[in-house]
Amino acid sequence: MSVLPFPSFLDDVKEKGLKRAALEGVNEVVERITVGMNVQDIREALRGEPASRKPNPRLQPHADGFWLHMRPSYFNRSVTGLYPTFRLGWLSTYFVFFETLTGIFLMIWYTPSPEVAYANMLNIMSNVPFGQFVRDLHRLGAEAMVLIVFLHMLRTFFTGSYKKPRQFTWFTGVILLICTMFLSFSGYLLPWDQLALWAVTIGASMIEASPPPVVGTNLNLLLRGGPDIGANGLLRFYLLHVLAVPAVLFIFTGVHYYKVIIHGHSLPPAAENIGEDTAKRVPLDKRVYFIPDILTSEIMWIGVTTLILVVLVTWFFHAPLEAHADNQVTPLGTTAPWYFLWIQGALKLGDKVLWGIIFPTIVIVFLLVIPYIDVTKSRRFAHRRFALSVAFVLLSLLVFFSYMGLPEFGVKTSADSEILHEMLMEPAHNHMGTLRPIPYDQLVVGQFTTAQFETNEFGGDIGTALDSLNSELAESDLGATLLSYLSITQHLPITSFNFVPIPADATELYDGISVLAHDITQHPAEMPNAWSAVIVTQPQAGLKRVDVVIIWDEVEIEAGVPVLDENGNPVFVLDENGERIQRINGDYMYIHADSQYFPAPGA
Amino acid sequence: MKLNRLIFERIDHRILVGTVSFLAIMVLVGWIWINENARMAAFEAQYLARSIERGAELYGSSCSSCHGVDGRGALGVAPALDNPSLFGHDFLAEINAQVNTLSTERTAAEAQGNTTRVAEIDTQLADLQSQSDALVAQMQSAVNVGYDPAAPNRLVDLGWGSTLHNFVYSTMASGRPVSESYWPQPMPAWAQANGGSLRPDQLEDITNFILNWDRGDDWTIEDLNAVRQFAIYPINPATVPTGGQQDPPVGLDTSIDEIMIGLAEVTGDPQVGDQLYNGVVFGCAGCHISAAVAPPIEGTWTRVINERLLEPQFAGYTGEQYLAESITHPGAFTVPGYLAGVMPTNFGERTTFQQLADMIAYLKTQDQ
Repeated sequence: MSVLPFPSFLDDVKEKGLKRAALEGVNEVVERITVGMNVQDIREALRGEPASRKPNPRLQPHADGFWLHMRPSYFNRSVTGLYPTFRLGWLSTYFVFFETLTGIFLMIWYTPSPEVAYANMLNIMSNVPFGQFVRDLHRLGAEAMVLIVFLHMLRTFFTGSYKKPRQFTWFTGVILLICTMFLSFSGYLLPWDQLALWAVTIGASMIEASPPPVVGTNLNLLLRGGPDIGANGLLRFYLLHVLAVPAVLFIFTGVHYYKVIIHGHSLPPAAENIGEDTAKRVPLDKRVYFIPDILTSEIMWIGVTTLILVVLVTWFFHAPLEAHADNQVTPLGTTAPWYFLWIQGALKLGDKVLWGIIFPTIVIVFLLVIPYIDVTKSRRFAHRRFALSVAFVLLSLLVFFSYMGLPEFGVKTSADSEILHEMLMEPAHNHMGTLRPIPYDQLVVGQFTTAQFETNEFGGDIGTALDSLNSELAESDLGATLLSYLSITQHLPITSFNFVPIPADATELYDGISVLAHDITQHPAEMPNAWSAVIVTQPQAGLKRVDVVIIWDEVEIEAGVPVLDENGNPVFVLDENGERIQRINGDYMYIHADSQYFPAPGA
Repeated sequence: MKLNRLIFERIDHRILVGTVSFLAIMVLVGWIWINENARMAAFEAQYLARSIERGAELYGSSCSSCHGVDGRGALGVAPALDNPSLFGHDFLAEINAQVNTLSTERTAAEAQGNTTRVAEIDTQLADLQSQSDALVAQMQSAVNVGYDPAAPNRLVDLGWGSTLHNFVYSTMASGRPVSESYWPQPMPAWAQANGGSLRPDQLEDITNFILNWDRGDDWTIEDLNAVRQFAIYPINPATVPTGGQQDPPVGLDTSIDEIMIGLAEVTGDPQVGDQLYNGVVFGCAGCHISAAVAPPIEGTWTRVINERLLEPQFAGYTGEQYLAESITHPGAFTVPGYLAGVMPTNFGERTTFQQLADMIAYLKTQDQ
């Protein structure tokens, strides 16, 4: 007679005793969850022992379970080492899940609207426990995923694994690479900071260049939701990021995985005869079963990779968050994300349509059709000299174009603006102005000048050099012009100049100004006789202001390059009295005692 | 391939590496957990600091031309923000508290018929009164530009029911549409939502910058006296007694030639001009006090004669004509080195011919 009106666990307890009934109950639950393996089977598997019962319970999860039906039940021993897969395919898959999980966490705290998106970021950083941690992981994971998927593609190319019968697997892989890059790129805009806005503006403006103009204009309108990126554009990028692109990615991941199951993992090129594909015919002695060997290996890789990411975001990497997006202010040195630098570099070669649209399209189409063009049978390195050479040339071009994409290459900015930017810039791209991280206490209120480093004329005596400069400025037009520039254009309330030596204990200020003194002498043709003033004032308690002004003799400039006379000297611009004209340019920053500008790790 | 064999071929090694990795992750997450509250607080402090920096920059470009680069306001133009009154600091608070306590005690002593104590308290009260008077006397220059020692708290006087942060923010966001009636230029609405140019985060930045002027209990009389202009309280026109017939204003569109004809009929008084120029009503000295903002008062007449009249566009002008035009039609000419459009353009409808003549007479006393 059953204890309850139906058979239940209590009957088991009554019959077998509590301990045995509980153990058997647990065993049963485990067997159902694993679709076939009970506690004893798992224990044996993890100990590396052979299965003690037949049929082999380790094959059942592959046959009956959902998750493992898309994984082969055994692998060929020759693909289980580090070479040839480097576990890149598995890691790519892992990153899809990793990014989805961290992304869902961030979605809870995020609203895709320009009104609040940036404030959401601040909230995530300042008010959500683990907010910064998860954001850093998501960002770093995104960058790592692009890299890993790309390396996975390279590996597949070098081992010739794209060849028959795996052409379509390669095809779907290229689509996954594009999805990955676009996922990363569409996520770029979401924080709604300056970095985001301008990187995406560059990307979207390339789409605008698509020929003919009617297509480009409308594609641009579709993507940005208006002529400029605003509320509509942000919402569209958000939907692409969390819905559209992931949907494509998941579908193609499914297809890609299915193809891997159908064709098996391709063996190292040397492991089989030319033209043969023996991946699906694994001899008994070469079989390595998924449970436990591959499974433990994959979990280990997850552990190691996650640990590396966690270590990096704990001490070495923080996702950037720049100033609030501002359509009116274009930061100097805007770049696309690093994986699109090659397109930005190509764009510098000239035509926007050719290099921004046609060229990347050709690259993508070429990647997609590689297996259909290269129909040679051999996968061995020695037989693929041409294909490998082409690959190395293309890789070199990729690196070269990416280098050209850096703001340092080929973008002409006047030397004075460049130097001011280098001195004062807000943190961006892991970089900030030289004077910015100077400790607050060392920003001594006073007027300093690079003339302190040019004292040869005065026998090396700094005091005399500065006195001379002070009295010269007090009497000359330059002094009055400089004062008027500072007070009217830059709103700095000072009424006279009194340059003093940099205090001996302000060593970092000294170092900063000596860098400035060095930099302004690096452009003798463009900025001859340049000197600079660094004026530190304190407008409020806990707030200092640092003005940097560069003064130089104006020279003739054509198309951004100084005109030189026959002796190679710059040609000075003279006023109606035949005197040289002095040019002034300056900029300033405010530094609060609590701002904590630290140099980036390794900078 | 020793590594390969070590890590990839032996299951126990794989399990060990994996387990150690997961444990290390747990330890690191725990480490982050322990530090998370401190990190969030530090981020908030750091972010506020950077917000103040950005606010300082925006203040310089958007607010300083009226409220002063140092935030001390401009006479007759806009009130100070670096201002004890805005932050509600009462210099007399301590004395008043003592007076209140003593007064209560005095009432009790009087009720008890304790005349000795009453006399003592009266002495103390007299002493406090003289301290208070001395303090108020020190504030005289602030009183001259609109400070009322009896009403030291701007928010209390306004009956503002919220925080100072909200007062500053909402004033910037919405402006003061009616302030044209008591300032030469109204406070504009700065928020993009209200047709201005600033985003909410930028308004927040400026607010943080302005609030950073607060010195808590450390405000000094010097801070108070450094203020160039305090807030003006608009007066209900119905309560203002109407005087006799007032002279008509010069007029906004009156040409300089017609103005000169009008001026010929009056005689300027430099002393009255001095009061007008340096007083609150026109507030000329609010800007023309520092060469940083506008051409300074000192040497005005010398510069007019020696520099301005030599400009080709002033051929045939007299010095008086130049000054009259500069006051009533400031857009006609901007002295090199200064921004055009800063000087209010409505003096034409705010001054009478007599007042204009008085101010010109005063300006002629500057040098030469």
